[in-house]
Amino acid sequence: MNKPRVMRQLSNRWKTMIHAGIWFKDPPKDVSLDGYRIDSVIQYTDLVIGIYFGIVVVALIYFIYAYRSSLGNGAVYDHGDKKKNVIVTGGLGLLVFCSVDVVIETIAFRDLREAFWNFPKGENVLRIEVLPQQFAWNFRYAGPDNEFGTSDDIIPTQNHMHIPENTPVVVQMASWDVIHSFYLPNFRIKQDATPGMITALWFQATQRGVFDIACAELCGNGHYKMKGYLTVESKENFDNWLIENAPELPDDDWDDWDDAGEDTGIPEEWGWTWKELK
Amino acid sequence: MGMDMEGTKIMKIHKDSFWSKHIFSEDHKTIGKQFFWLGLFFLFFGGALAMLLRWQLGYPEQPVPIIGKWMWPDDGGIINPDIFNQMFTMHGTIMIFWAITPLLIGAFGNFLIPLQIGAPDMAFPKLNMISFWTMFLASLVLLSSYMLPLGTASGGWTSYPPLSSPAGGIPGLGQTIWTIALILMGAATMMGAINYITTVVRLRAPGMFYFKMPLSVWGLFLASILNAVFVPVIAAGLVMLLLDQTIGTEFFIAGRLASGDPGDPLLFQHVFWIFGHPEVYILILPVWGITSDLLSVFSRKPAYGYKVTAIAMSTVVALSSLVWGHHMYTTGMSPLLGKSFMFLTLLISIPSSMFFLNWLGTLWRGSIHFDTPMLFAMGVIWVFGLGGLTGLYNATVTADIYLHDTMFVVGHFHYTLAASVMFGSFAAIYFWFPKMFGRALDPFIGKVHFWGSFITINYVFFNMMVTGYAGQHRRIYNPTEYDFLKPLSGLNEWITIFAFFLGIFQFLFLLNILWTISRSKLCEKNPWKATTLEWTVNYPIPHGNFDEVPIIYYGPHEYSRPDIKDKDWLGQNELMEVKKWQM
Repeated sequence: MNKPRVMRQLSNRWKTMIHAGIWFKDPPKDVSLDGYRIDSVIQYTDLVIGIYFGIVVVALIYFIYAYRSSLGNGAVYDHGDKKKNVIVTGGLGLLVFCSVDVVIETIAFRDLREAFWNFPKGENVLRIEVLPQQFAWNFRYAGPDNEFGTSDDIIPTQNHMHIPENTPVVVQMASWDVIHSFYLPNFRIKQDATPGMITALWFQATQRGVFDIACAELCGNGHYKMKGYLTVESKENFDNWLIENAPELPDDDWDDWDDAGEDTGIPEEWGWTWKELK
Repeated sequence: MGMDMEGTKIMKIHKDSFWSKHIFSEDHKTIGKQFFWLGLFFLFFGGALAMLLRWQLGYPEQPVPIIGKWMWPDDGGIINPDIFNQMFTMHGTIMIFWAITPLLIGAFGNFLIPLQIGAPDMAFPKLNMISFWTMFLASLVLLSSYMLPLGTASGGWTSYPPLSSPAGGIPGLGQTIWTIALILMGAATMMGAINYITTVVRLRAPGMFYFKMPLSVWGLFLASILNAVFVPVIAAGLVMLLLDQTIGTEFFIAGRLASGDPGDPLLFQHVFWIFGHPEVYILILPVWGITSDLLSVFSRKPAYGYKVTAIAMSTVVALSSLVWGHHMYTTGMSPLLGKSFMFLTLLISIPSSMFFLNWLGTLWRGSIHFDTPMLFAMGVIWVFGLGGLTGLYNATVTADIYLHDTMFVVGHFHYTLAASVMFGSFAAIYFWFPKMFGRALDPFIGKVHFWGSFITINYVFFNMMVTGYAGQHRRIYNPTEYDFLKPLSGLNEWITIFAFFLGIFQFLFLLNILWTISRSKLCEKNPWKATTLEWTVNYPIPHGNFDEVPIIYYGPHEYSRPDIKDKDWLGQNELMEVKKWQM
């Protein structure tokens, strides 16, 4: 009596399985100002290499079919080394280079110039210092004095980063121990954080929500769960959040400082003077 | 000078004791076979690790069926994060340095180069023997790390410091043993490279000009040049890393934050990739050469644009040393460097597309025979086509900001390094097995092996790229930790299922090899009707190879000549036909 239901469940299970197995997966939702640039250069590449690989496959299948030995036609004795052959091969090589590589390069250089390597400046920009450690993310906001490495710096709970929407955010990072990589899949960006040097990236959120921060560079056995949360919220909520996380006025004793009672294994005064980018 | 004297010398001192014939042999063919078995062992070892990795990614934190309870009883048969990191580290290290390198460069470099250029042996037979035994020692050192209480290295096959140094928090000696094994492996590779280069330069038979060499020899020769130039670079890096690991130097340790100690972790990445990028060409160059030759043999048609192919491959070799920075776009390198590396990387697509077109040109108007080696050679056209083209995404600085360190990269380099290189190796094994072991592998099992591998390998690696584009970063123990990766768990499960089938088809291949060797029937001298010199000698090939020094009149691809009536090929040293031709 229950058999049809069981069958239906089974076939649903199969449908899900098959759907999971053959359907393309979209990248995570893009919530950034410039993420579309990455998606579009990838889509252009998809298109042109799809065309070229399609041509290769059609040629391969046609040759296999038309020149199979069972037809008994024999091969043509041709070394393909005459000047015209070389010119055709070279010409096709150049054609591929110009239609694919040169275009991609032009797009990429434009996007780097206009967006990814064009760091925003001015009052409007939110600056954050990020210090990854095995296996957590530490964040630091400049606080009222707008200077890093001072006692009014705001250090929120580990792994929690907040930013206001529609505001350019510049992140500078170093590393406490090994190399990590600050990866925001919904913003299509990542940047290695390496001990001994300061690296930077910038982005701007266009939508509110909570998004994953992941570590993309192998950093040890906890690498897979070195996970943070990026909250994009309204300017007012963000300002309130900063105030909530502001440190109590410091006494002379730095040790009493950490009111969250959280032991991160690193001293609170880890911030560095903001490195102005040229 | 060298050749004849060398040849007679070998013949004289040669004694057939068991040890000198099978163990410490100086005969390039025996050493080639030793490398063959070593590579095959590690291919299956690394493959088994891949299966376990796929289990964890497809069925995260579930007990491994059958062997799990026995392997990891403390964890209830579940692979824990430490073990997982050790497994992908060893998988990468083993597949690149202990499986592909011995199989293609060790086995076929040794076996083919002297036979195909008409030399009696390698230029330095003793060095050749030492090279294998150094490699063997390196293997023992590497495997010994499995006996360490805290396990093997787990810093990835790239083992970037500071993670791979004591400051990085990986416990135990595994990382140090890894470094020592790699240094030994590098020494073995250097000995081989020097030998191959010298042999090709000095010991070519009369008439065997560079542009008469089979393209397989070209590929192996160019790979050896890259090895000779760049292995010392990584060796230097590894010695510095070893000093960091053992006596407390700080070449690659920069201290915490942005200040402190004078070392630089990025220095290692530069050193690693200055070698590491040529390394991928070291692995693929022999495949390009072998594929070019085999397409010609089984199309019964000269390789299209032979010279262009050889020159294009040489151009890639030159360019390959200038592109390492494309592995480091996200390290914060200067914009000028990033752009330069992108441009140089993209330049490679010109010579690559030229020899790729020549492959298709060889098939064009040929007479195509679908023997197993040919199936795999045509498989290389497919998988290398995809692997090469998908490299464009990673070469693009902007796309790479997103795709770097994701499964997209993993899928891409498995297309080139796993699919292309394995198909090339399989093509070579099926093709030269009759010359190495006197017996032809079973064609039916071979075809099942091809189609099974072709379908599964494409599914696995293509969908790895799909998961990468969907954001899944690499080297993570459990992708379901992240919300944005949860929709991928069904696909990850499928990849795992197909990977298992891929593994099963390789056992078919192993059985084919073992069954063929134990079967006694010898096959004919030249079963594929090929033109190159190795097919002119009888199995078993004596120490010294040729009864008399072969004299070469023709290029390696004289198929379907209209001026020959009774057969469709002409050996490189066939004197009779030359006379007829000249009259």
